[in-house]
Amino acid sequence: MKIGFEDILEYLKRPTLAIILIVIIAIGAMRAFHVTTLDTLILLSYFIGVAASLNIIMGFAGYVSFGHAVFIGIGAYIYMLSVYFNPLLNTLQHSGFGVGIIIVSILAAIVAAIVAGVVGGVVLRLRGAFFAIATIGLDFTVLYIIKAVVPDLDPDYFFGAQIILPKRCIVSKSDIFNAIYITLIAVMITNYIIKRSRFGAGLVAIREDEDAAESLGVPTAKYKTLAFALSAFFTAMLGAIFFLNGGGVDEMAFSLGKSIDMIVMIIIGGLGTVIGPIIGGIIYYWLYDTLLVHYPGVNLIILGIIVALIILFAPEGIVGIIRKRTFRGLKLRDLLE
Amino acid sequence: MSVLLRVENVTKRFGGLVAVDNVSFTLEKGEFLGLIGPNGAGKTTLFNVINGVYKPEEGRIIFKGIDITKKPAHQIARLGVARTYQVVKPFSDMTVVENAMIGALFGKKAGKISITEARDIAMNMIELVGLKDKAEVLAASLTLHEKKKLEVARALSAEPDLLLLDEVLAGLNPKEIEESLKIISRAKEKLDFTVIMVEHVMHAVMNIAERIIVLHYGKKIADGSPQEVANEPEVITAYLGEPELALKFVKRLRREGE
Repeated sequence: MKIGFEDILEYLKRPTLAIILIVIIAIGAMRAFHVTTLDTLILLSYFIGVAASLNIIMGFAGYVSFGHAVFIGIGAYIYMLSVYFNPLLNTLQHSGFGVGIIIVSILAAIVAAIVAGVVGGVVLRLRGAFFAIATIGLDFTVLYIIKAVVPDLDPDYFFGAQIILPKRCIVSKSDIFNAIYITLIAVMITNYIIKRSRFGAGLVAIREDEDAAESLGVPTAKYKTLAFALSAFFTAMLGAIFFLNGGGVDEMAFSLGKSIDMIVMIIIGGLGTVIGPIIGGIIYYWLYDTLLVHYPGVNLIILGIIVALIILFAPEGIVGIIRKRTFRGLKLRDLLE
Repeated sequence: MSVLLRVENVTKRFGGLVAVDNVSFTLEKGEFLGLIGPNGAGKTTLFNVINGVYKPEEGRIIFKGIDITKKPAHQIARLGVARTYQVVKPFSDMTVVENAMIGALFGKKAGKISITEARDIAMNMIELVGLKDKAEVLAASLTLHEKKKLEVARALSAEPDLLLLDEVLAGLNPKEIEESLKIISRAKEKLDFTVIMVEHVMHAVMNIAERIIVLHYGKKIADGSPQEVANEPEVITAYLGEPELALKFVKRLRREGE
């Protein structure tokens, strides 16, 4: 297939791609003009990124992974242990203005994807709530394995399994931003490609009716496992880079709250759409940040109430509502694919 | 004519219940077979065994010379078996044409056609069943009759050699039944596939099918042309109970008719 200039122009007319581009440019511009701190941009990129990652299995294939933080944990721990104990990887992560970080986090993410692939082959036979519960079980199992295996690097720390990176392992925030920014772009593009591919069509068919999908020729077991592994891969990359920014990791990486963050962002934005998780991530970040600044202490209570209201009155999310409308005879659904 | 499907001594049990009991038959290419029987006769189970949803305890199923008994459903679909469901299973949050595209993308030409080509095939099939003006409507908003037509269009989009129709007429009014039968005949003529049709609407299946197989408690009790099958005492017993009683019943109906 030859791609000409007209094709590119045609692509730019698609709002979904335009919104992805706007987000990429906006974050890049905020970085270039020092509009806000690097920590803010890293956190924002992390939020949008994990929402888009979870969207692959939960939005497209319809499997609610309630313990998805397990992949944040795996990514973060493998990353920290790698640079802590392996001087070569530590040198690598300091090189290439963030490229080194991406390479090490890909190594960690491959481990997460393998775990997802192996476990997914079994637990993805479960449907609905049973699958969700199984993923929570996976989260706890991996956490306790890590607590048992990871050497106690800080005996004074109460929770155990805490890793605080020594100075030799600390990388610059600028590099971390570059790494998470590129990863975010990769996740969003991956979502976009999946949505327009045969693979994506198969996943949505699985979500809508798995039996019908199978009897129409969709290799459901293979597709679900692939989606789960892909989702785990990106979640782990983002988790690794996010905790790298914090300078270490503890068992909070596996917390249920982290899983719920992701789920809530997708639901606010709109399940199974490409831009839903992006919009949900931005809104959730904004809510999270404003409430934390103005109402410290009760911020999570207010956030919880707002989220409950959104789920109660707009269960399809923001994009879901817009998708159903028509604008001057134009079906918005077609635009927002 | 060549043999398309060979069902050899297939038995399917659920615990102690024998749902399909030692059933054998062969199907020639291009045939239109009606599969009938009272409720619980094992018709849908036989469908599920043929298209790979259930694995039979005994027997083999040979499709186009390939043993498909142990193959998963999606592989059987790719070989060219498509089905519709008695209880319709549309992909609700997809448009009509997207529903049919799934059939095309994962059917016999899986992996060999682009999304655009799949869309063209899907559009053709939707037009064939008369849903063209609903192509961009969400499947969830269709009526039952339209959903049943969508099931057929989705199955046809896979360009199957064998189409399994599971009670596509159930729940429809006489006018809709007539329309559906026309659609099926037209599609068969145009696309040249083989059909097995499970049906409860007796006059319909007797009219459209060239050959009828009757199942009763999982066993095959008759196999032949609609006329032959209708005169088989065992079939009358299966549907109406005791033959003498049935005969009396039929006589009384005739008297009342006069």
